[in-house]
Amino acid sequence: MNKEPQLSASTWLASILVTCFILLVFQKILWLVVPVLLALVLYYCLRPLVQALVLRGLRHRAAAIVVASLLFFATVLLMVFFLPVAAARASGWREATVHYLQGGLDFLAKSELLLVEKLPVLRGSPLLKPPPMKVDTIIEQFGEKYLGALLLQIVHWLPSLLLMPYLTYFFLRDGNRLKKHLIRSVPNAYFEKTMLLFDRIDNSLQSFFVGLIKLTFLDTVSLALGLWMFGVSGPLVLGLIAAVLAWLPYVGSALGCILVVLVTSADFPDQPAITYGCILLFLGVRILDDFIFLPLTIGRSLHIHPVLSVLMLFLGAAVAGPTGLLLVLPVLGVVTVVTDILGQILTDRCLRERFLLARQLKSSR
Amino acid sequence: MKSPFHLFKIAPDDQRISELRAMILFKELTPRELREVEQLLHERTYQKDEIIFAEGDVGLGLFIVVEGRVRASSSLPAFKNISAEFCCGDFFGELSMFDESPRTARVTAIEPAQVVALFRAEFFSLLERDRGIAAKILFEISRTVCRRSRRALLGEKDLPIL
Repeated sequence: MNKEPQLSASTWLASILVTCFILLVFQKILWLVVPVLLALVLYYCLRPLVQALVLRGLRHRAAAIVVASLLFFATVLLMVFFLPVAAARASGWREATVHYLQGGLDFLAKSELLLVEKLPVLRGSPLLKPPPMKVDTIIEQFGEKYLGALLLQIVHWLPSLLLMPYLTYFFLRDGNRLKKHLIRSVPNAYFEKTMLLFDRIDNSLQSFFVGLIKLTFLDTVSLALGLWMFGVSGPLVLGLIAAVLAWLPYVGSALGCILVVLVTSADFPDQPAITYGCILLFLGVRILDDFIFLPLTIGRSLHIHPVLSVLMLFLGAAVAGPTGLLLVLPVLGVVTVVTDILGQILTDRCLRERFLLARQLKSSR
Repeated sequence: MKSPFHLFKIAPDDQRISELRAMILFKELTPRELREVEQLLHERTYQKDEIIFAEGDVGLGLFIVVEGRVRASSSLPAFKNISAEFCCGDFFGELSMFDESPRTARVTAIEPAQVVALFRAEFFSLLERDRGIAAKILFEISRTVCRRSRRALLGEKDLPIL
């Protein structure tokens, strides 16, 4: 139904520059950007539910209240069930971290031995030297240096994260009204083009956010299923963490893989074959993700060439660090749509003449 | 005191819903369906002589006259001998609901006019969500288009298909 226009080089250049600027701004107000983005994800996921309730006879506001209340109760229930478990486990965080890190290091040492057996040339290589410190010393130093700062960061972020359900409720309740008000303020001459702009932005964001949630679900299920078959502990949590980490392009996948290796090698210290199996499983899920799940969910909704995507990821990371890496593609997708339509509006002489005529008519009365 | 359960009852028609119901395009819709459609409509106010859309513009939606009158004019020979003044309740630009081809006429307000616009992309999202409502609206569009084309073939005066 929607034919995507071919964009000119100047439009792309303008989009890239604007994207970099937005990422810089986002980095400065991250405390606001994160809850707004999460609220947008929830808004796009819950909007069909509100629409379904409206079709069943509820007023829009009532439907928004019902859905937001359901979200609130679901969050409370999750916290009631999981916080005690998390608190109980948090007390043993040091032992658990040492256990998993030690497992990972042992696995590395065994792999090195195996490698040296197969390739004696590598014997004495500086790459294969053991780590200089013991794991519990590293953990202790980390705890002394960073744990306090980490806890402070969590306390700092908590109020802004509490904004998320509040924002979601208002997006659900007033999102459409806000859109209508914005469109109402647009001069008549530009009305239809502005409608097109809003529709494309809405579609891009919806495809991206809903696609991201579906992708996370599919990744979690496939990885959890595989890990469960290998007998790894906590497969669902591990699968979910790895799938959420994969939101960070490239770096996230690497971190997810390291996490899987740490847990598997700690669970099966004497069976490195299982760890190798889990690494293969992880790679298999990433391939499934790239070639099957991604086209099925997010797909080509953002209409960005793969080469440009990779370049933008580097640029995003250089401009705004991990925030830039995470946000660069959706921001570029939206900015491209806005730049394209604004370009069409500003360069259309007929529309400008129509706008000037309307202004003349207004001033003459 | 209001019952806390009023949230779950079908709310009574407000003035806006009654206005929509009076429009030929929405006459078959129930109040709750009208509430859903109301979310998709955009009100615009035009001054006398202001252009609503021009011939050759890419059509993105249809317009319904709520108040005032608008006139369609075109360079196409087929528009001769056709009455082209739309008043309260009439709709125009209906062809853009089906494709993105350029508008066949220019429509101008001949007196201060208020119109509501139904945008094609939003209508398609409604079509995906609730085929029942969309089918009723599409049926009314088709019926009006049929009537207008039949009368045009018979040489009788009616509004043009835009």
